[in-house]
Amino acid sequence: MKGEENALWSIFGYLLSGLIFWGGVGWGLDRWLGTSYLLLVGLLLGMGASLYLVWLRFGRE
Amino acid sequence: MRSLVRLSAEGEGFVPPSSNDFNLPPIFGDNAFTTKPIVMVFFSVILISIFFIAASRKAAVVPSKLQFAGESIYAFVRNDLARDVIGHEFMRFVPYLFTLFTFILTNNLFGIVPLLQFPTMSRVSFPYVLAVFTFVVFHYVGIRKQGLGKYLKDIMFMPGVPKPVYILLTPIELATFFLVRPLTLSLRLFANMFAGHLLLLVFIMGGDHLLKGVIGLKLVSPFAFAFGIGLTFFEFMVQCLQAYIFTLLTALYIAGALADEH
Repeated sequence: MKGEENALWSIFGYLLSGLIFWGGVGWGLDRWLGTSYLLLVGLLLGMGASLYLVWLRFGRE
Repeated sequence: MRSLVRLSAEGEGFVPPSSNDFNLPPIFGDNAFTTKPIVMVFFSVILISIFFIAASRKAAVVPSKLQFAGESIYAFVRNDLARDVIGHEFMRFVPYLFTLFTFILTNNLFGIVPLLQFPTMSRVSFPYVLAVFTFVVFHYVGIRKQGLGKYLKDIMFMPGVPKPVYILLTPIELATFFLVRPLTLSLRLFANMFAGHLLLLVFIMGGDHLLKGVIGLKLVSPFAFAFGIGLTFFEFMVQCLQAYIFTLLTALYIAGALADEH
């Protein structure tokens, strides 16, 4: 039970920080290069990376 | 705040409650350190101290009601939060977790106590400070236990991943541990208390305003008050839950920092 609860909150944290960090990078690049699609790329990348991280951490056993 | 409502009732339109209702004026003169939330924080400390000193002063084998109440809260934090989550080293962290839980719970409950009726934690600085405490505690514990290098390495590098992927994953791990954790911890508590208080304000001030309207509106006003009362019970639940979650997450973070493997 303890493990499951821990997993729930950690997963939430990972998904959020993936979006924030890589979405932020995409947004910054958009501002810098004057493009408009890198925010979306960043968000998708962040989402994918955090899902991968969640899988690595909780899905492997 | 009260005068604002009265003014609006005498004039036309209803002034809906807003975040301005959370900026309370100083109680004594214009000393900014005596606003209601600050006074309530000190009051909560006094209240908690009195309660637990009274509960433990005449400790007996057959406990009085007060002793039983005090011990139940303590046992809840020690057994259900600290021991079940942290494991065999839990006793070191019980004082911190217990303080955190009772402090947040009392301050949250102030939101529905008549006459006080303001949840201290709806001022965001208080949750921020509590989150900083938790942040310092769990990182310090992890660094003490595993050494700075190993602790950071465990956070940054998930084993069993091809090296280039770390470019993608390491920033996420760092952001999680150093930014998202304290931020979500404090904002969750703040937002719940803020929204709850606003919700109660809407229904109760709305009911008050309807009561001053024409006869048709007067008839509707009891429903607004009834909703307000119902939501007060709902708020009670949320307030307990948020105190519990804050403490639980602190315990989980400490447990994570103590764990040897990731």
